[in-house]
Amino acid sequence: MPDGLTWKNLAILATALGLAGMWIGNAPADDEAVFPMPRDKTYLAECGGCHTAYAPGLLPARSWRRMLAELGNHFGEDASLQEPVRLALLKDLEDMAADGAFADLRMRRVAASVPAGATPQRITDGSSFRYIHDEVPKSFWQRKAIGGPANCIACHPRANEGRYGEREIRIPQ
Amino acid sequence: MKGFVLLLALCAAAPGYAAPQQDVLVALTVEAGGAASPTRGEKLFRGKFSAGKSAESCTACHGDDPKVPGQHFKTHKSIDPIAPAAQHDRFADAAKVEKWFKRNCPEVLGRACNAQEKADFAAYMISVK
Repeated sequence: MPDGLTWKNLAILATALGLAGMWIGNAPADDEAVFPMPRDKTYLAECGGCHTAYAPGLLPARSWRRMLAELGNHFGEDASLQEPVRLALLKDLEDMAADGAFADLRMRRVAASVPAGATPQRITDGSSFRYIHDEVPKSFWQRKAIGGPANCIACHPRANEGRYGEREIRIPQ
Repeated sequence: MKGFVLLLALCAAAPGYAAPQQDVLVALTVEAGGAASPTRGEKLFRGKFSAGKSAESCTACHGDDPKVPGQHFKTHKSIDPIAPAAQHDRFADAAKVEKWFKRNCPEVLGRACNAQEKADFAAYMISVK
């Protein structure tokens, strides 16, 4: 038996490998990105009528607060809601925001990519969005069925359930 | 056998989507205080307006054919067909109908739709076969 190959050293090696494996395994995997979504159907009905029901975890809470305070001019359109509906939606959005209390590692990375003083409104302007989509050719965005980066659900068919995983991507022709 | 024939006759006489849409249309017509005109409704649907805040026509999002899915002119989200003949839950829920008139009329017309316009529009969509 070579010098140093003892049961104790083997145990240390196995423990180190195991810990490294757990550390790597804990990292968010792009192939199964899942964000929490409001359980209430209101979000899908009110917001998802005109665009993808974007996962709240794609923006920090302060962005959602500003957005829901300015619904009268929502990207140029009047998307005003009844106050009780607005407040209920805002609560879900804050709870599940990228910097919400229960945010997972993926969401906290999104939150960390937003500069401290900024309250971004367009998810697609964010550096985390641009980083993760940098391999998508420009011509894809211009396809009729896609139209632009705001149309998540065109390529992520289960985006309205918060599912953006790589293995679920279907790019329309 | 008799029951089966009766069932077939019922299916032919009353397509599944007819009932709730008729209720909605009747309510809108009563509100308008006059008969609803599918022809005027189609004119409204296809009309181009410059007073709107962003979309210049209903067809900007709903497409030219109410029986096929449209696409939101800005977000590019696919929008279910607006005619009940193709999408059975359209014009079946009065509150939902009212909500979308309230949201979309100012976008296109620059003002709210009146009761007659709503009745005409619904009459046209329900008449599309």
